[in-house]
Amino acid sequence: MSKAIIVALREVRTYLQDKADLAFSLLLPIGIFALMYGAFGGQDLFHGTAYIVNEDGNGKFATMLLERLEALESLDVEQLTPAEADRKLNRSDLRMVVIIPEGFSDSLTAGKTASLVFKQRGNGGDEGQIVASLVRGVVEEIEQELQVQAQVKTLAPSGIPAARIETTVEKFLARDRQSPIVAIKEIPVGNSRPDPVKQFMPGIITMFVLFAVTLTAQTIVEERRKGTLERLLTTRLSTGQLFIGKFLASLGRGFVQTLILLVLAGIVFRVFTPLSFVQAVVIALVFAAAAGVIGLIIGSVARTPDQATWMAVFITMFMTMLGGTFFTVSRGSVLYILGKLSLNTYANDAFKGLIVRGDSLADMGLELGVLIGVVAIGLVLSRVLFRAVPGGR
Amino acid sequence: MTEPFLVAQDLHKSFNDHKAVNGVSFTVGKGEIFGLLGPNGAGKTTTIRILATVLEADRGDATIGGYSLKNSPGAVRTLIGVCPQDLALYPDLAALDNLVFFGRMVGLSGKEAKAQAMANLELMGLANRARGKIEKFSGGMKRRINLAIALMGHPRLLFLDEPTVGIDPQSRHNIYETIQGLQANGMTILYTTHYMEEADRLCDRVAIMDGGQIIALGTPRELKGQAGDPDKTTLESVFLNLTGHSLRDD
Ligand SMILES: Nc1ncnc2c1ncn2[C@@H]1O[C@H](COP(=O)(O)OP(=O)(O)OP(=O)(O)O)[C@@H](O)[C@H]1O
Ligand SMILES: [Mg+2]
Repeated sequence: MSKAIIVALREVRTYLQDKADLAFSLLLPIGIFALMYGAFGGQDLFHGTAYIVNEDGNGKFATMLLERLEALESLDVEQLTPAEADRKLNRSDLRMVVIIPEGFSDSLTAGKTASLVFKQRGNGGDEGQIVASLVRGVVEEIEQELQVQAQVKTLAPSGIPAARIETTVEKFLARDRQSPIVAIKEIPVGNSRPDPVKQFMPGIITMFVLFAVTLTAQTIVEERRKGTLERLLTTRLSTGQLFIGKFLASLGRGFVQTLILLVLAGIVFRVFTPLSFVQAVVIALVFAAAAGVIGLIIGSVARTPDQATWMAVFITMFMTMLGGTFFTVSRGSVLYILGKLSLNTYANDAFKGLIVRGDSLADMGLELGVLIGVVAIGLVLSRVLFRAVPGGR
Repeated sequence: MTEPFLVAQDLHKSFNDHKAVNGVSFTVGKGEIFGLLGPNGAGKTTTIRILATVLEADRGDATIGGYSLKNSPGAVRTLIGVCPQDLALYPDLAALDNLVFFGRMVGLSGKEAKAQAMANLELMGLANRARGKIEKFSGGMKRRINLAIALMGHPRLLFLDEPTVGIDPQSRHNIYETIQGLQANGMTILYTTHYMEEADRLCDRVAIMDGGQIIALGTPRELKGQAGDPDKTTLESVFLNLTGHSLRDD
């Protein structure tokens, strides 16, 4: 086995033994995705809460109304006491409350009319208005069913017990509710509204991969501090092999991290097809290689672990900020030109192409070319700059 | 002196105008234990780093086993083992894994590396701690591991830079015995220490360095003889006479 690989394996072993490091690189992505999911998950379709004051108690129709509202996917139902409702409305915590008044069910049972009350601040707000129309829909449905039942009763030949008519009609109505004659399907169309998940996902992935800069730089300065670096260079391991070993370790670590990120992204947000997933892994690996090489350069020039940390943090921040992670820089501006210095720009562009536009690797020649170029030049540069001990070979 | 194995000629090394090594020449014979003595900052470690191919001399060269440092550092590396002054270990790895790893680095196969590692741990009295992590070891144990690693691959020339600093008499005794055993097997050793009595006992010849230069060279007995009756003087008093009593704070 080549010495470079043995060096890389030793590195990976240290990495696996450092529990904090491991937790950081595995749990943090999971945490971030959980946050992202909370913020953006399923936001495409309307989802609201109906605040309801039920003064009708266990009344048959009040219960029916509540049950049917709860059955709606786009609606959560929260019941309030009258006092709570007034307080929240007064404080503008809520803008619309539905009140089922006392005697609601009794009136309907007796064949009389009944009314619901929408108590609202101003126009009830966007959500309030949508909730109100959803409630109206359900009420209309119940109303129609009542009419059907009343009609059937008058038409049915006498002699059939009323209770039997009622159950039969109810059976038909239930069937109709299950599969309505006119069903409504919601189809989200195109990217008329940019999907925030797809917008932010590339930036988050590249940001994580970029940690390779710090981690790789640290492995070199740490070894210099421990004295093992100097010791290694008195063995038959050449500096070139040492660098390849460090590079492979960095790549291996980046690969595992990236794979976890991409698998999570795929499962939680369904942004990949099997093919685009493989392509995403390739982009991430190339970017991880470039980040690792920047880490090698920092490790080669830094004299102390602190220096390495600061250089790595600065470069990570610079690349993340200008690389389109948090905001898109407008074309032609100074920041746009500076952004061309950030590796993230290329990685983010490649990921966006893949995730948002459905490009393939063939469409990302420029981006991948730049990143691979950085790897090649960086490997040579770091080797040239490297000194095992200050003033050494 | 036996046939020379290491020949250093006029080595120079400066760090920003400070001459750490300033024209050092000496020869170490095959199978000899050669002591490099001198106060703090004398240039001992810098000399060893040059000879171990870590630093490049500004001027001068040395040959080890016939290979020149300048022209074939790679070949020199196949002949040497280095026990650095500061511990150079992977604390998160087990003792055995440290030895095996460096064994692989000097070109041993996995099997050979493991066999040598166990033998060296045995030699250092640490066979029963082979699986223990270095970070859990005492100072003396770490020093012995530091030396054991230098022995991997059976180097022809061993550099020992203060191998016994800061350890108890038991560990020190173990290291003395190991060094004498290695010499008996034909290994050449370059040894630095601040313990004059230790140098007197172990070294065939010693060089005393100060200010980057060698100011005296000979067998311990010869050097003591220059100061008076070799049976009555100590190497320490010779050393103090030659290098003075002023403190070296660099
Ligand atoms: N990498 C370096 N950069 C700058 N100065 C250095 C470097 N290495 C050594 N020196 C200086 O060179 C001089 C010789 O140092 P060296 O470590 O060789 O001494 P030494 O004899 O081994 O001392 P000690 O007994 O304390 O180990 C000292 O003044 C030291 O400060
Ligand atoms: Mg020293």
